[in-house]
Amino acid sequence: MVAGTAGETQEPASFMREHTKRKFLPYAYLSPTLLLLAVLTVVPIVTVFLYSLFDNVIVNPNPPVFVGLENYEEVLTHRKFRAAVSNTLYFALASVIVHFIIGLSFALLLNSRLLSANVKAFFRVIYILPWVFTASIIAILWRLLMNPHGVINFVLLEVGLIPELLEWLSDRKLAIHSVTFINIWSGYPFYLVSFLAGLQGIPDDLYEAGRVDGANAWQLFWHITLPQLRPIIISLALLDFIWTIHQFTLVWMTTGGGRNTEVLSTYTYKAAFSSYDYSEASATAMVILAICTLVAIFYVRSQRMADE
Amino acid sequence: MIGSRRQILIRKILVWIALILGACFAGLPVLWMVSSSFKSNLEIFAYPPALIDESFSFQAYEAVLSDPGQLRFFFNSYLVAILVTICTVITSILAGYSLSRYDFRFKKVLSLIIIGVQSVPPITLMIPYFGLIVWLGIYNSYAALVLTYMVFTLSYAIIMMTGYFNTLPRDLDEAVMIDGGGSFVTLWRILVPISLPGIVAVGVYTFMLAWNEFLFALTLTRTNDMRTVPIGIHLLMGQHSFEWNQMLALSVLGSLPVLILFLLFQRYFIAGMSAGSVKG
Amino acid sequence: MKKLVLCFMVVLALLPGVSMAQDVVLEFQQWWEPELPEGSFRAILDDFEAANPGIKVETISGPYLTTKDQIIASAATGTMADVVGLDGAWVNVLWKQGALHSLTQAMADAMYDDSELAAQIQLAGETYMIPIANFIYPVFVNLDMLAAAGIDPPSTRAEFAAAAEALTDPDNNVYGWAQPLSLEQPNGIQNDTMSWLWATGGSMLDDMGQPNLVDNMQLADTMAYIKSLHDAGVVAPGAFAMKENEKVEEFVNERVAMIINTLAHFTLIRERNPDLNFDITALPAAEGYDGPRGLPYASWGIGISAHTVHKAEAWKLIDYLTSVEGNTKLTSIANAFPGNVNATPDFIQTDQLFMTAFEIFQEGYLANEFTGLPAAEELMRRFDEPFQLYLEGEMSLEDFLDEAQAEWEDIFA
Repeated sequence: MVAGTAGETQEPASFMREHTKRKFLPYAYLSPTLLLLAVLTVVPIVTVFLYSLFDNVIVNPNPPVFVGLENYEEVLTHRKFRAAVSNTLYFALASVIVHFIIGLSFALLLNSRLLSANVKAFFRVIYILPWVFTASIIAILWRLLMNPHGVINFVLLEVGLIPELLEWLSDRKLAIHSVTFINIWSGYPFYLVSFLAGLQGIPDDLYEAGRVDGANAWQLFWHITLPQLRPIIISLALLDFIWTIHQFTLVWMTTGGGRNTEVLSTYTYKAAFSSYDYSEASATAMVILAICTLVAIFYVRSQRMADE
Repeated sequence: MIGSRRQILIRKILVWIALILGACFAGLPVLWMVSSSFKSNLEIFAYPPALIDESFSFQAYEAVLSDPGQLRFFFNSYLVAILVTICTVITSILAGYSLSRYDFRFKKVLSLIIIGVQSVPPITLMIPYFGLIVWLGIYNSYAALVLTYMVFTLSYAIIMMTGYFNTLPRDLDEAVMIDGGGSFVTLWRILVPISLPGIVAVGVYTFMLAWNEFLFALTLTRTNDMRTVPIGIHLLMGQHSFEWNQMLALSVLGSLPVLILFLLFQRYFIAGMSAGSVKG
Repeated sequence: MKKLVLCFMVVLALLPGVSMAQDVVLEFQQWWEPELPEGSFRAILDDFEAANPGIKVETISGPYLTTKDQIIASAATGTMADVVGLDGAWVNVLWKQGALHSLTQAMADAMYDDSELAAQIQLAGETYMIPIANFIYPVFVNLDMLAAAGIDPPSTRAEFAAAAEALTDPDNNVYGWAQPLSLEQPNGIQNDTMSWLWATGGSMLDDMGQPNLVDNMQLADTMAYIKSLHDAGVVAPGAFAMKENEKVEEFVNERVAMIINTLAHFTLIRERNPDLNFDITALPAAEGYDGPRGLPYASWGIGISAHTVHKAEAWKLIDYLTSVEGNTKLTSIANAFPGNVNATPDFIQTDQLFMTAFEIFQEGYLANEFTGLPAAEELMRRFDEPFQLYLEGEMSLEDFLDEAQAEWEDIFA
């Protein structure tokens, strides 16, 4: 009672306080995140951006010279940079599409009602295996497997699928596909887990209703499963696209960017740590940032649409 | 009736065939890694290759496990990954709560920034980032690694947490608010306990990333007492020689904690991922 | 009481330093410690510390492949260690960055007599790196395979080609030679490609030290010779992505009969395959060439940070590691040829193969034109790319050398 009256008398002030509180609370909750990101990412990004506008940065005795957009012009018109862009697009798009197909197929399989819970649990662990290894080990493992005298050639030769030993990573036509394959192998489990989650979220009655209408398995998949998974598919694909563009270790440690496998990340690395042209590397980095930010904007848009 | 039973049997067989084919795709390379870790460095490159040969021994594992330096890498990896997991989980809960439950002026911009942070290619940031860490005075410390991995994992962690909170009805917290609980009480007492799957998903995701990261772990540390398992693996790649079997043995050992984590939490993890990806 | 606490805190603060507060602690960043038998490198440094009271050396060790990136990053942020291990392929960039102290200056300050030093790497007339351990690259040959084919170790290019041809048996996955041309680690251009040129007294640079790839008869001949080996099918498959270590594994597994390889692999090869019967021989020269043969080599070099306040102490460490005593110890455990002309590592007296190597070493001269060049690794890489196209027949010899020349000029500019 006493508390009640006190509350009533203080109402306007308290209301004001509540109002400002409500205004500032969301920022307060976000503050640790924002502080961390501001210091540890915004500062370096701005630094890299500034580098990209200067020449003679870091690895140079001469003082930096402001050159405006010259570095960008140089990068964007470079033959090798363009090649890297088209390789990156192939690498990223193929990875995203196949990740999606494999991830979804495995998820459907592991969601099958024909399997017992223990079987599913066991195979779930097998299926996520590629996920638990660090990228450099995946590169080393696949170099062993894809060695001309490695086990893959041996098996394919014995089975008679190939007429002679193939040079998976050193053949100019094969290499980009081999690297993409390795990336596909190492990356699909993330889709798998997300799709498994998504499938469990689809209400059973949707399928029941579909079956009552006489839909077959394919129609159920096409008209219920896929549309229900759509938000997941979009967000996964966009995030994966960004992550694949950043993929450096796998490409670098398998082919070194040679044999038509130069991608933007290896191009940038070489500019920075092999040619020691940090200005060019920074400009390339900014281009990658721009591409990825565009994708990120799509991502946020798609999320908002899903919310509404 | 018989026909349908037969149909089910056929379907079951087909599912099993697909299941095993899939397991081969996922598991055989890993099996090869495990088998190679038991071989001698000579036999790893033998042709024709064999899954198990006469050089089978635990020598590589003994070498790795009896080396206090390698054990230190494991200790560091655990410490760093656990700290990162705790910090990222707490930070992302706070941020997710804010983005899920409040409407405020800069919400759109801020969420774009949080997601956009992921679009920066890490390699290019290395030199300025390195300078920053040195300037902050945390070079070659656990703090440097923990903060760095938080930056890496926060974006997706926040996406997942926000998504998970979005699936929880608002009536829940409003009821508590009306009862006089503050927003923090609501978050802590009501939302957090029922968000366990989402939290586990964020935790496992963060742990995996922190456990496996290499580039920054190397750049931001200079002495072996601060380094993690992925660097230990790289230290076995010498200028002139590779200790292949020890490298593979160390990777196998290094993957076990992550696998066990997944094994224990897979149910929660998958449930938590769902919300994260349905709505971000 | 307060004093006691203070004392306690001071002691605590000093504990990590282990010894007295006045000690100068030198940071020494290198990739050597993990390459050497455990504890052996530290033992040498302990000997140095015992001989130089008041100086402590703290090692900062990392994997070879990333040490370069780390040193460059630390130089950019002013946190470079006092003393650093250097590779001839990246000394130039650190020098350009102003990160290295002139050793000519350091030697003058210490009134050091440099007559014992086998080599000094100079840039703009001053020394910035001293190679303290050298690994030469002779040809390793599998004696059993040679005996089975009834041939002797080759000494000229024609003999080498004939031997490779005789040794190759693709049905059994056996090849005469392996040439690693990976673009991630393009040092195959230095060790397994340009070495052929140097062995015949050729050069890839002109008198001014500028790239000279076009209209360079010896270079063109050498490249055409290597292409003829590839065309003859005597080179192990996978060359275009092969790395140095994989080349060695092929040799150890007796799938490749001859490789150009560093002596540093000696113990490794014996450990991996104790049954392997192998010998070493000098790199074949072109027909009719009887001058001294350039021997490709790689070095562990050492230098001093431009920003260290302990330059005198840093020099003392280098002085020790290049002295007869220190250099003998280091090269003995590293199986390397000494950087001090008077040092004699143990293995030269005890191992027949090393005696052979030492003879090859004495008859020839150390040749590695990439040492000290700007962005040396990138030079190799940009040579490697058109070279691969040439070997595949996608590019003519002239076009390949024209393109490589243009790429190199771009870097030298």
